[in-house]
Amino acid sequence: MILNEMVLPIIVVLAVLVGGAYSVAVMDRVIATRLGAPRAGNPWLSPLTRGAWLLVQQANVTEAPDGRAWRLAPALYLALAATGLALVPWSETLVATDLATSVVLWGSVEALATVVIFLHGWSANAPLALIGAYRYVALGLSYLLISMFVLIGVALPAESLQLTQVVMSQEGLWNVVRQPLGLPLFLVVGLGMTFWGPLNLADSTDLAGGTASEVSGPPRLVWDVARAAMLVAFSGIAASAFLGGWLGPWLSGPLWMVVKMLAVLAVLLWLGRVVPRVAPERCVTGMWVVLLPLAFVDLIWAGVAALWQ
Amino acid sequence: MNHGILVDIAFLLLAVLAVVSGWRVFRTDSMVRASFFLLLSFIAVGAIMLLLAAEYLGVAMFFMMGVEMMVMALFMVMFMMNPAGLNPMVMVHQHRISMGAGVTAFLVLGLMALLTRFPNRPLPAGLEPVASLGHEMLGGSMLIFESAAVVLLATMIGVVVLSSHRGRYGAANEGSLPPGLAPGGDPAGKPKEDQDGGHEHHHHHHH
Repeated sequence: MILNEMVLPIIVVLAVLVGGAYSVAVMDRVIATRLGAPRAGNPWLSPLTRGAWLLVQQANVTEAPDGRAWRLAPALYLALAATGLALVPWSETLVATDLATSVVLWGSVEALATVVIFLHGWSANAPLALIGAYRYVALGLSYLLISMFVLIGVALPAESLQLTQVVMSQEGLWNVVRQPLGLPLFLVVGLGMTFWGPLNLADSTDLAGGTASEVSGPPRLVWDVARAAMLVAFSGIAASAFLGGWLGPWLSGPLWMVVKMLAVLAVLLWLGRVVPRVAPERCVTGMWVVLLPLAFVDLIWAGVAALWQ
Repeated sequence: MNHGILVDIAFLLLAVLAVVSGWRVFRTDSMVRASFFLLLSFIAVGAIMLLLAAEYLGVAMFFMMGVEMMVMALFMVMFMMNPAGLNPMVMVHQHRISMGAGVTAFLVLGLMALLTRFPNRPLPAGLEPVASLGHEMLGGSMLIFESAAVVLLATMIGVVVLSSHRGRYGAANEGSLPPGLAPGGDPAGKPKEDQDGGHEHHHHHHH
């Protein structure tokens, strides 16, 4: 019993944390090569090479940083990614944390990610890192409300805030069909909370790397792994909330989850490569003026559909 | 109620974390650090609430306080004119009054905790804490919660309006405009006024 309830979930979370982050790195390189980017080595080996190189590289130090917060921020971001992964149900019984309010806890992970990413840029005591940190707060506060409305939308037909119940409620029809606005809006949230591709405002090239501009060596490795792991955790939540989670014919539940998570990751990474980075001001305006009202429409849609049943 | 020793250990650790990080709020020298120590303290309290089976309220504490402390740190930095909040500053003032208030509050709360006789009422077996909380908040007590929410929102907007009255280029209610690039010139950074004439609502001062 202890093996099934304590050890197995921890092993699953750790394995997905490591394997998922590696798959993100490989998939991103493969997609980049397919899109015509100059090939930089073997896509299977180059993430490992880079990881090993960062591991032996010296950790950079700035003038008078908040040292403890600076070193802690990447670890905290990784811990938040692990928390998110712990909520992902792999089958009806294989869930690390089957909390009655797991959807709300995922919302907390998103909110606390804002704090941690801000802390990462703020504590370096360097100008470009600081600009990245403040930019991220503007972005984070913009996508949080969108995320909340979209997630309340999937909780309505399930009549529960529990992710396993949300999956079970999609037995007849997946939420991606039932609430067509939900998944596209939620994907924006995913790109936002990992500041990936078009929404990479915190660590962007115009800030020479933003919050990570002064970070090198092992802390940089943890930061990069944490970002990829957060993307994996997000894909797990998105697959459970919109793509029917473990439900599906022929294959077993966990296998279906892996397939669906890889599909979400492929879409996100492809978007990250083909869509250019948006300007911060336009991004915030678009989120509040266009996407937030769309999230309202999604919630009203879900509410009316729930009442009609 | 039966619970394992692990719950007791978790409670003690979280309680110590909540108190220590709460104490650090007043000992640190930066507004941003103070906000995040307070956040840590609240997260520990939220986890204690989870131990008490308040599954919604405990988790709600995480995201409420996460956003709240982030916004608070941001607004403090903006209003205090302390570039980026990294400059050291003293986080305590009015020492005598606050020490008196702190000791009094501690004594009152401590006495309440020690002297109150808490009822021993085990929860009914089929109780769903999240659903019952929802029925309470959106049922019988809806009017109270909604009025409190509107009052809080009005207070927040009012405080920002009152305290940001003086803008960078003069008082906000006098239509503050950036100064011209040349003495007496048009406000800098504003687009040239209507070539095709006819926007009645623009009032700029041409000299």
